[in-house]
This record gives sequence, C-alpha cells and structure tokens, in this order.
Amino acid sequence: MAEYGPFEMIAFTGSRVLEDETIVFVGTGLPIIASMHAQLTHAPNLNMIFEAGSFGAILEQGLPLSVGDTKAFRKAVYAKGLCAAFELTQRGHVDYAFIGGAQIDMYGNINSHFEGGTYWKTKTRFPGSGGAGAMAANCEKTIAIMALEKRRFVNKIDFVTSIGFGDGSADYRRKAGVMGSGPYRVITNQAVFGFDEETRRMMLLEVLPGKTAADIQELVSFELLISPDLREMKEPGDEDLRLLREVIDPEGYFLKRKVVK
Amino acid sequence: MDKFIRSSDIRKISNLDHDELAKKSEAPFEYWGPTPAEARKRAVAKPKGLHDKQTTLKDAVAKHVRDGINLGIGGFVNTRVPIAIIHEIIRKGAKDLTLSFQSNSMCVELLAGAMILDPNHVSIKRVEMAWWGYEVIGIAPLFRYLISNGMIHLDDYTNYGMSARFKAGAMGLPFIPTRDHGGSDMELVNRGKMIECPFTKENVYLVPSSNPDVGIVHVSAADKHGNARLFGAHCTCPELALASTYTIMTTEKIIPTDSIRRYPNLTEIPYPAVDAVVEQPFGAYPGACYGYYWFDMPEFLNFRSISDEFRKTGNKDKLKEYYDKYIFGCETFDDFLSTRPYNKLKELRQKDGGQPIIID
Repeated sequence: MAEYGPFEMIAFTGSRVLEDETIVFVGTGLPIIASMHAQLTHAPNLNMIFEAGSFGAILEQGLPLSVGDTKAFRKAVYAKGLCAAFELTQRGHVDYAFIGGAQIDMYGNINSHFEGGTYWKTKTRFPGSGGAGAMAANCEKTIAIMALEKRRFVNKIDFVTSIGFGDGSADYRRKAGVMGSGPYRVITNQAVFGFDEETRRMMLLEVLPGKTAADIQELVSFELLISPDLREMKEPGDEDLRLLREVIDPEGYFLKRKVVK
Repeated sequence: MDKFIRSSDIRKISNLDHDELAKKSEAPFEYWGPTPAEARKRAVAKPKGLHDKQTTLKDAVAKHVRDGINLGIGGFVNTRVPIAIIHEIIRKGAKDLTLSFQSNSMCVELLAGAMILDPNHVSIKRVEMAWWGYEVIGIAPLFRYLISNGMIHLDDYTNYGMSARFKAGAMGLPFIPTRDHGGSDMELVNRGKMIECPFTKENVYLVPSSNPDVGIVHVSAADKHGNARLFGAHCTCPELALASTYTIMTTEKIIPTDSIRRYPNLTEIPYPAVDAVVEQPFGAYPGACYGYYWFDMPEFLNFRSISDEFRKTGNKDKLKEYYDKYIFGCETFDDFLSTRPYNKLKELRQKDGGQPIIID
C-alpha cells in the first residue's frame, strides 16, 4: 500500500461518502478536494454548490482556493449570489453539507465561533458561522471533517454554531425550525463516525487499519457507541493518490499542510 | 406579539453565560441603522431621473460617509471587495461605525487596523456579520485582537442570515423568515426571534431586515447612471445596494447606456439604488474580480503577517508604516496601484484566465 498523508486520507474518505446523482454544498479546502475526487472516480454526476453563488461548475482552471474564488464559477450552469445558493438549499435541492469546525459533541453539534472566555469577551475567536450554520440546518445530510483530538471531541462545546441533533431528543431539529435531517458522517484521518438512529449519538463506523475502537475512544472525551459492524477504513490506492496530488491539488495548498498539534 | 414568541430547546445545551443572556434578552430590539420606514423615506426623497452620477471617490465618501453610520460592505471574503472605497473611507476618517456584511477579509481588517492605529480617526462600534477571516490564508488577526480585548460589540448570523437581512431591506420588509439560526447559540445571542408560524404552527426564525446608511460595492461594469452588471459571484451586492439608503459604487469599467438598454436582463443593480459611480479599475485589488483579475495572494499574506505580528507583539510600527505608505501617503487609489509593478497587475489579469463577461 502506498504511503499517504492525513489530509489525503480525509479527502479520499470524504469522496467515498459522497454518492453519485447528488448535490454537495462545499466549504473551502478538503470538501472541494473530496468532491473533485468523487467526480473523477465513482460520482461523475455529483455537482457542487458554492455559497458565493456558483452551481454545477466545471473546475477546469484547477482547485478554487476559496468558495468565492473566480475559478469556482468556471462553466457553471447557474451563477448568482449567496441568497440563491442558500435558498436552493432551503428548498431541498442540496443533499450534503460538507463543513468543518473546532469542536463537536456526541450529537454532532459543532462550534466554529470561539473557545475560552465568554461570547462577549472570547479568549480565542474564530471567523464565525459563515455558511456552516445554514448548511448544517438545511442541507439534507451534514458531513463534518474534524481533527481527531480529545479537546475537539468534547462533552460540551463552547458555542453551538452548526446545529446537529441538539440534546438528542427526537424533535430538537423540528423545534429549531430547520429542514435538513442532520448529522450524517464525521470524517477524521483515523476514524469515520455516523449517528445511531435511535439515540442520535455518535457511533464509530470505521477505523484506520491497525487501530482498535479503544484507540479511537482514547481520543474522544465522550463515550462512543461502537457499530456492531465496525470496519476498517479503505485506504487510497495509487490512482487515488495520483489524482489528489497531480490533478486536484498539485500545489499542495490543502493536502500538504502539516497536522497542527 | 409575545404570544407568538417561541424558542427551540437550545437552552438545554447552551454553554453561554446565563446572566449575560438574561441582560441581552431584556434589551429592547433596535435596528442598527435606519428603520425600514426611514429607509423608504430616504428613497422617496431622491430625484428619480437618469442622471450622470459619476464622481470621484474623495467627493463620494466626503458626501455620504459620516460618524455613527451603518456601513454595508459588499463582495464576499476576497472576491469583488470594495477595497478602493475602504481606502478612501480610512483617509477621510469615520468614527463609531456599525459594519454590516456577510463574509469579509481585507476590507474589515483594514478598518480594524485604522482603529488600532488611531481610534480618534476611525473606529468600529459594532459589527453584524457572519464571518471575518482570510479563508486559506488564515484567521484575521486584527479581528481576534479587537474581540479578545472586548473592543467591539458583535451580532452573529449565518451567511444566509446576513444575506437574507439585506434582501429583506431591499424588499422593504421589516424582517424575513429563515430556516437557520434556530437551535444554535446564534438564536440566543443575535437580534432575530423564533416565532410560531401563523400558518403551519411550526417554529420559524425571523431575522430583522438591514438597511445600511451607506452601502459600498465594486461591480464588473456600470453605466454613468449606476445601472450595473455583475459577473461571477453576485455575492449579496444587488440586495445590499437596494437595501442601503445611499450606495457608493466603484466599477471596473463605465459602459454606454446603449449597452445597458441592449441587454436589460443583465442589469443586476438598477440606477435608483445608486448615488455615486466611480470608474476604478482594480478597485477590488488585492481581491479578485471575475473577468478582470485574480487575487494577489502575496499581498494578502503580507498585510496579514504585518497584522499578526502586531497581535503577537503589540508593536504597531509595521502596521503604521503600511497605512502611512499605502493609504495616507496616497491621494487616490490609483496612487496606491502605482506602487505595484505593471508586471504584477498583468500577472493577475492572466491568472483570471479570461473568464467570459459581457461589457460591450
């Protein structure tokens, strides 16, 4: 098996999760890379929507560096603005939200506002919701990319930016007035998580070859449910790595970043 | 009204400070700018004919930008951002500003830096927004500095929330229902409200409209009256221009009104929404403008690293040097652009890759 980096594993796994004949609302970086990989392999009729207003672009100028990048509008079938992108989503035309965040809890609620201090005087303020809060609310399924660390998989997040299953009650999302069905997958470089249908709690579905469920639990602050059908994560093959390294992100803008400790 | 007010179950999971939240919920609602009725009054009072609205940025900013206004900022993150207008606002000075935008990088960092250097010249009182950062380039150091020191008041929405607020402002409505914010902590901290929908009886989240005093946008092409075309991302520029009581517009190119009339479907901003038109090539630089030029990444990196150095060390020297040289040391935005080598601007045009636009 070829050697690969953590971000390459995340992008490859993200690609695997996306099905053909769907529409994915992408955030900057790995979500775009995962979606491009999916288009080039098993999902040729997957289309991307970017919040700046591009839908169904053909990314022939290469990887857009941001969701507002002019390259993200190349040969789109529809190009408007933020209202159009999010209203298509509210209406039910977008299958997947592909977002990130700084903290996540067992019900898939995600924080991308701040850590430490109070909202009114934060210790470490992040950029804010951006599109994430709206994507998690109204895309049909939410896929999150997270770094697998104890300080990020926590019991209580400092701020709920992107709604998951709330407190886990069956009607939390309905009472919140949102339309999507909620958290679907959480992707890290060592594990893939889903959510239990009954309890809506995070469930370990796949682990990196060589890792055990106990290894993953070590990196998570709350108690994980373990799938009775726990599997090994599929690893990227030579052709997948060639696509990621030579075709999709040849400059290594996102795939060659160092893992932040 | 109170009998319609509802909430999600966010309080069951929120980690926010209860005392602070209680204080917030007691505060009466206010628009952070003109009310919908005031915004309408200002529109009604304007002469409605087709007039040549071309002017200089110096005159446009002197005429419309005052202390205490709500400034609506167009573009999106690093794309078609009204940098030239921001430079002029900083040169002129404006205090106690309320800033309204969805997502932005350099426009708001430049205003924050001006405030850090001389709060008696430029200052930000409060911000209603969704996102403040540089995307791939990193977090916004000056934003983090202002927030960590409790120097500005924030009101957080999603990107759709802010866009919908401008849209409601553009529609002459006091609010607009959205399907987001509910069930997140934004429901507790921002000025929207959850109500019971009178038709479905389900919860739905309302956000107040936004009608900034002054909206600033940079567009792909416009005629002298302010009829404007946008190519690539529209961002929320049409909604913002229509919502704002005065709009200052820079355009890459002034095009003939004959062309506007030949393709009226291409007009995204109609002239009554516009008060000043300034032809300013590279008006979004170092941001990108579809069909004209791509981002100048090294310039973003440079200003961001100067800003981050200040955040980490508290030393303002390099920041001050940047403003003295590139903003206060320039009479116009063309003077600033003259500090860039021709080859650099040419390279940015090439990096756009000839995106097709219709400007004839």
